[in-house]
Amino acid sequence: MTEPATDTVTDAETRQRRITPARLRSTEATLLAVVVIGFAALSVTSGGDLLRGPAIQTVLTYVAVPVLIGLAQMVVLAVGQMNLSVGALGGFTAVLMGSMMADAGWPAVLAVLAGIALATAFGAVNGLLVVFTRINGFVVTLATMTVLIGLQYRVVGTRTIADYSPGLKAVGAASVAYIPVILMVALLVAAAVAVFVRRTVPGRWLLASGGNPLAARLSGISNDRILVLAHTLSGLIIGIAAAVTVASAPGVNSSIGGDWLLPSFAAPIIGGVALTGGSVAVLGTVLAAFVVRLVDVARAQFSLDPSWVSLVVGVVVLGTVVLTQRRRRRG
Amino acid sequence: MTLLADPDSETQRRPPAARRGRWVLRALTGQRAGLAVVVVVLIIVFGTLRPAFYDSRLVVFPLLRDIATLTVVGLAQLAVLSIGHMNLAVGRMAAFGALVSGFSYQVLGLNLVLGLVLGLVAGAAVGALAGLIITGTGVNSFVVTLGLDFALLGLVTLVYGQFTTLAAFTVKPPGMEELRSYSMADLCVGDVCGSPAVPQLLLFTVVALAGVGYLFARARTGREMLLTGSNATAAELSGIPTKRRVIGAHTLSGLLSGLAGFMLAVTAGSFTAGIGSAFLIPSFLGPVLGGTALTGGAVSVIGTFMGISLTQVIQQGLSMLGVGLESLNIYLGLILLVALSAVRIRQLFTRRRRSS
Amino acid sequence: MADPVFVAENLVKTFPGVRALDKATLRLEAGSIHALLGENGAGKSTLIKILTGVHRADSGRMVLDGREISPSSPRDAARAGIGVVHQERNLVPGFSVGENIVLQGIPARRGLVDRAAIRAEARRCLKQLDLDLDPETPTAGLSVAQLQLIEVAKALHTNSQVLLLDEPTTASTPSEVERLFTVVRRLRDAGTAVVFVSHKLEEVFELCDTVTVLRDGASVLEAAPLAGTNREELVDRMVGRSHLAEPLPERPPPAPEPVLELVGVCTDAGHRDVSLSVRPGEIVGLYGLVGAGRSELAKALLGLSKVTAGEVRVRGRAVRIRDVRDALRSYRIGYVPEDRKAEGLFLDQPVTRNIAVTVWDKIGARFTGVSQRREEELAATYVDQLGIRLASAEQLVGELSGGNQQKVSLAKWLAARTEILIIDEPTVGIDVRTKAAFHELIGQLAVAGLAVLLITSDLPEMVALADRVVVMRGFQVRGEVANDAHEYDPTSRAVMSLIHA
Repeated sequence: MTEPATDTVTDAETRQRRITPARLRSTEATLLAVVVIGFAALSVTSGGDLLRGPAIQTVLTYVAVPVLIGLAQMVVLAVGQMNLSVGALGGFTAVLMGSMMADAGWPAVLAVLAGIALATAFGAVNGLLVVFTRINGFVVTLATMTVLIGLQYRVVGTRTIADYSPGLKAVGAASVAYIPVILMVALLVAAAVAVFVRRTVPGRWLLASGGNPLAARLSGISNDRILVLAHTLSGLIIGIAAAVTVASAPGVNSSIGGDWLLPSFAAPIIGGVALTGGSVAVLGTVLAAFVVRLVDVARAQFSLDPSWVSLVVGVVVLGTVVLTQRRRRRG
Repeated sequence: MTLLADPDSETQRRPPAARRGRWVLRALTGQRAGLAVVVVVLIIVFGTLRPAFYDSRLVVFPLLRDIATLTVVGLAQLAVLSIGHMNLAVGRMAAFGALVSGFSYQVLGLNLVLGLVLGLVAGAAVGALAGLIITGTGVNSFVVTLGLDFALLGLVTLVYGQFTTLAAFTVKPPGMEELRSYSMADLCVGDVCGSPAVPQLLLFTVVALAGVGYLFARARTGREMLLTGSNATAAELSGIPTKRRVIGAHTLSGLLSGLAGFMLAVTAGSFTAGIGSAFLIPSFLGPVLGGTALTGGAVSVIGTFMGISLTQVIQQGLSMLGVGLESLNIYLGLILLVALSAVRIRQLFTRRRRSS
Repeated sequence: MADPVFVAENLVKTFPGVRALDKATLRLEAGSIHALLGENGAGKSTLIKILTGVHRADSGRMVLDGREISPSSPRDAARAGIGVVHQERNLVPGFSVGENIVLQGIPARRGLVDRAAIRAEARRCLKQLDLDLDPETPTAGLSVAQLQLIEVAKALHTNSQVLLLDEPTTASTPSEVERLFTVVRRLRDAGTAVVFVSHKLEEVFELCDTVTVLRDGASVLEAAPLAGTNREELVDRMVGRSHLAEPLPERPPPAPEPVLELVGVCTDAGHRDVSLSVRPGEIVGLYGLVGAGRSELAKALLGLSKVTAGEVRVRGRAVRIRDVRDALRSYRIGYVPEDRKAEGLFLDQPVTRNIAVTVWDKIGARFTGVSQRREEELAATYVDQLGIRLASAEQLVGELSGGNQQKVSLAKWLAARTEILIIDEPTVGIDVRTKAAFHELIGQLAVAGLAVLLITSDLPEMVALADRVVVMRGFQVRGEVANDAHEYDPTSRAVMSLIHA
């Protein structure tokens, strides 16, 4: 008894269907187009000023931190988690580094390394708490965020620490062919994350755990360990973001990191990362950070209220997810 | 119609007296009783260490006023937690509601009540917008309210910049100052007056608690919301209009946020863009401590009130003991972590008990 | 007869209050296909969990290829040589076929993932299955049957000497089933011991060589050759007494006028020209294979997808049903879904709420709200009538057994006093005794005057219950078979010929 094979797809047809990568590519292509066109448009409206070296350098300087915090959030989104303490941890680490240098007189290298190590440890703590309390990462990181805000204030109070390591500040201001060193650091981190996730075994475990935790468990992957790993990585990247901040900002105080939380989500979301886990979009996140920065450039150029950035980014985030959802439904 | 009973059945006849109380109460009594005990103990401890803690006018009154406002914030979050959603924009919805109220006082010259109503409508409208986007696009509530939070922040600041010189609406309609400072002592029935420690603002909270409490305990709509949170697919297939309930939950959340924004503006004395900026954490802290499930399907209205009371009592007490402002946040966060771990420990404990 | 390659002997496993395995034994020969049968609750899933390392037995031993093993985790079991393909798919959607196959042991070279090694290994496993698939293909676009075969490939990657297939054909079309059988036979010929766990006795007889039957945690039939037994004997062993799908007692004839009629109905789910009718007191069966469009038709009737052409008539009048609430309130139509856990029940809510959900508008006034007491009284009525076994009044539905859960799923429609009831796969995953109870129950509903549209893939069940069988395939009606006599052979032949026409 032979059945017409109406219910099974033949293998030849399958080989021709490569849906998922194409969809992601379209997000990145769109973002790249937006960045290029946006930059071109702003150059024109600035009368060519934007194309001058120092102007480009300024634009690029302020992309470094958004890229890093976007990546920090992305690695936990990949396992279906959220890290609300991104800003608070960054701020706390930054002021701690500043305090270590200015108050305790530590050399810059030591302070930076110690700060990064501490941030990594805090990330691990986040992960361990999520595993042990078995509570939604949202609420756990909400709690640790609160603690860190308090700690940040404890360290720095109402002052602004500005008097530290000229060497570090020089690095923060340095650039090669108008490309800031700190941006290169950020892009290096992005590349490292991409390699980790695509080409190392723990990175594949991370994506497997986020994509199908049960399948991962049955294949011997410890979802708990992966969760801790993701949060730890997030902490590490935040530590680097804090170091970049300390190096490039005029000073650090209790307001640092206060406005990091929402951009840390905006970049991955616009960049195409699924909130449910299992996917990363490093290039998309980086490009999205550039897009947000361009919005800010536009705002400055037209002397608009900074609130416009917030408004526009909010609408773009909403627009992105709505469009992604539509595409998903149709496809 | 005789329906079948399992022939080998050892059906345990349920006790006819099903008056063991509602299951929600039973499941949560343990936690809420515990909360109540902790609050009372803390009050005693703080009062012993600092007798000034009991000063009705200087300490208790502002404390209750804060509890009043933050409880409403907690209820705003509870409204969407019931369906298993989150509202990250409670703070900005509050700001938006306050904006509209302030606008109606300063620019439109309306009276206190009318301004409040408009603020509530504004809050409800933006909540409904969130609900419509969520049900219309299928995007999850976290992202939608995140984007909305962003957008509202910008919008609110821009409007204040447009219409005011100091980024605040400072016109106080008649009655606002009284609402801010009057207590129950100013409400007298004959010769019997209320306590000077209880602010009149608390009446709003009582109404909100009663309303939301009734909604989820008795009203059909509230039950349907809880079941939507429990299993949206099954809810749809059981005849529950889930889309309407989702929009309703978000609208209610917006409305309560607007109310909280109004209450904070009254307390602070003016309407600014910063209203609600500190609402996000308490909005989760209250319900979580009080036993509301983050995944939907079970809420505790009274528990939210008690959760907020606990955090505010701790803040006030520590502050009076000389603990600095900065450390309050640290302790607050730690309390939440302990509370979360406690839930887990209790779960493990109950499971062990049940299985033995 | 060669020595068995795998022996599980006298396995005992106790959970609080339940003795799941009571000296169960399983003997497997290399190069054979061994059926594992038993009702739900007999201990099959516990046995599988012990074999695959999810649980550890309290006592007893397992010997594989001469070595005693005691796997402490799924990975352990796989490394020991026991592979498993579960009922539900367990693949990472974002990964390629090759990566999914080697997930348990991703090869690495100099710290980086070795893509060439993945491709080679994946090809090796796929070749054994005669599956022509590029390892780089993303898993996302593949059919369920192909995904299943990839999971078999996964088990081959870990060099399984024993391969467990847990209900592999539940959602497969006949051609997919054939293909799977070919693969399994090939594995047997290559020396693997395959364990085939299934409820479908026809398939067991077609594919397997030997059989073990579990009942109440013990092996009541062990490694018996299938050639020497028949269906009745196996069922007898499973339930402990001879049991055929007993026909129901005679029912009075249905009312003359149909209460539900579909005339040339087309939907945007893909149905074309569907016509059927159901009369009060009648049980009309809707039979078809997976993918025939039966559940989708039910959902279209409830307003969940649009009727694009034709007419739906309720009590003679053409209607347009907007949603489930409309179906219930205006037309008294109810639907007991196929997947009770995902679609029919609120697992974290108490039984009272699950039953009363359809009638809150009736037991509560507009301003005083729903009375807790009336809710409990209503629920108690149906708990008693249906014989739902509860540990306490506030018990959550998630804690009940499958049969009791299904009773709750049904109770809410009885509470709503529906007159037309669509029941979708009522006895999936329910033990044989409760199954019989359900059949009687459905019969009694018809006697009481309900019009029942019964969707089931269980042909014996269909024959026992339905007065007429409407056969569907490819979202269309192929024909109708009268079944007044409720005789298996003529009816099943007629149905099958319509399916395969």
